[in-house]
Amino acid sequence: MSLIEIENVSFTYHGNKKALDDVSLSIEKGEWVSILGHNGSGKSTLSKLIVGLLKPQQGVIRVGGITLSADTVRDIRKKVGIVFQNPDNQFVGVTVRDDIAFGLENLQIEREEMIERIEHYAKKVDMYSYLNKEPHNLSGGQKQRVAIAGILAMKTDVIIFDEATAMLDPEGRERVMEYMRALNREGTTIITITHDMKEAVLSDRIVVLKDGRVLKSDKSENILKDKATLEKSNLELLLPLEIMHYLNENGIENPSLKEFLWQLSLNG
Amino acid sequence: MKNIVIGRYVPGNSFLYRMDPRTKLIALIALMVAAFLIQSFTHMLVSLALVTLLLVAGRISVKRVYLGLRPLMFLLFFTFIFQVMFNQEGDEIFTLPLHYSLLSIVAAAAVVVFWFMTKKHVRFKLFYFLFTVAAVFAVLHYIDFGVLFGEGTFRVFEEGLSTAFFIMVRLIIIIMLSTILTITTKPTDLNLGLERVLKPLRIVRINTEEIAMIISIALRYIPTLLDEANKIMLAQASRGVDFQEGKLKDKVVQIISLLVPMFIISFQRSDDLANAMEARSFVPGQPRTRLHVLTWKRLDTFALTLSLVALVAVIVVRVV
Repeated sequence: MSLIEIENVSFTYHGNKKALDDVSLSIEKGEWVSILGHNGSGKSTLSKLIVGLLKPQQGVIRVGGITLSADTVRDIRKKVGIVFQNPDNQFVGVTVRDDIAFGLENLQIEREEMIERIEHYAKKVDMYSYLNKEPHNLSGGQKQRVAIAGILAMKTDVIIFDEATAMLDPEGRERVMEYMRALNREGTTIITITHDMKEAVLSDRIVVLKDGRVLKSDKSENILKDKATLEKSNLELLLPLEIMHYLNENGIENPSLKEFLWQLSLNG
Repeated sequence: MKNIVIGRYVPGNSFLYRMDPRTKLIALIALMVAAFLIQSFTHMLVSLALVTLLLVAGRISVKRVYLGLRPLMFLLFFTFIFQVMFNQEGDEIFTLPLHYSLLSIVAAAAVVVFWFMTKKHVRFKLFYFLFTVAAVFAVLHYIDFGVLFGEGTFRVFEEGLSTAFFIMVRLIIIIMLSTILTITTKPTDLNLGLERVLKPLRIVRINTEEIAMIISIALRYIPTLLDEANKIMLAQASRGVDFQEGKLKDKVVQIISLLVPMFIISFQRSDDLANAMEARSFVPGQPRTRLHVLTWKRLDTFALTLSLVALVAVIVVRVV
């Protein structure tokens, strides 16, 4: 049994066309999956469905064997954490410390344990020295790291990064991606929702969404060079692969250069 | 825009800072009520002296409290003048005959116009204003020649003066006390204290924790929204909206061009925030553990007892 099972899920916002249309997907424990798609492909809807912020009109979602429903949504939120796109709009606390504490207070963790976890996870995202700072004194990247610490402190099995790097500068993005790598190495299941190929390529598997349907789901290496699929969903090849493609089209054979380009693209 | 600071907490270290916010809140209310009940002239002055002593002992800079008083100075003096002029009870203690002649009225108007034109350049605006008021009366009193339209008298009555005095000192005491509270208490602590003090309201089904959460989120988003407002103003200014000048009609249009996007953005933000809070297992009204705890110290028992004793004493004096 997979950790997350999504079966024939459909979702429509009031009166619009289907945001998700008969999507089935399963995600294994410890896996790192990217949901890749263009704007309006339904990828963010999918993430909101998994944490029960939206309710599917059709289909079933199971997390760790529990079927998502109004009665189980709280149990599921203990298993699945989500980091959203806008660092400002998910900062609840008045200070960094309060913000990391927010989720723990909701889970009714004892105060001593809470303090311990706050310090531990603040250190983990290198925000320990900022614990008493207020959000308007932090950069976007720092706020996003606080959001990550807040989710980590809740010790969820799965963390969804819903375009979590989209509003960050390159340095902040690089940093968040590093935490994703480290977390996945430690066994956390990670789902990244993104339209950025560079971010998707780090994951084990890429699910390409288009107009609410799963276009393709495959190992990252395979999706990476699948120009047809990417073009169909309005996504671009990574620059090294674009170059490789160009070389192939013009019949230029250079195995070592191609190998170099391939490695380059695998590192995002 | 960034200068607007709600609460005006000023970091420091004295017994006032170490006190529990609950103590400070309850004591504030007790002392305010006491200030309203005092009716004796000497008691009022003693209270004012005690509050000033509290300021000094609590190592709060008097200048900061003055800054807290300043926006209300005009109101204070206005009530004072209003009471002095229109309250006509008790003995008459001061009479000033006034002469309304062509010359005296023109001269008085000239004084006002002069004040109006020069007030920008004077540092002590309030004193300058009072000086002008005195000058107007002086002109009306001493210029008693020319074509006379009529005569009048400016009278001050005992009751008017004493009422004016009491209102003013009461307001000053209240403002001083609440400024002490906001200067020495962080907004978050104040909020937490308020939540705990109002907890008995649970009996009438008011969830104080929810109210406290609303206040805390409001506090957290004030800087963010001010930032946002700044950005929108710059964006609108770059399209030719001039926020500095214009007639009233233009001002309305300018404000609307700021308010509409602010509203839309705020709604989007609150939607996002609600999602983020819910995803982090927040359920309104559900019990939560708290990171911040308030610790009751001996100092608090002492301070609370003292202020309640003061209130009771004032009530006893009034009733007896």
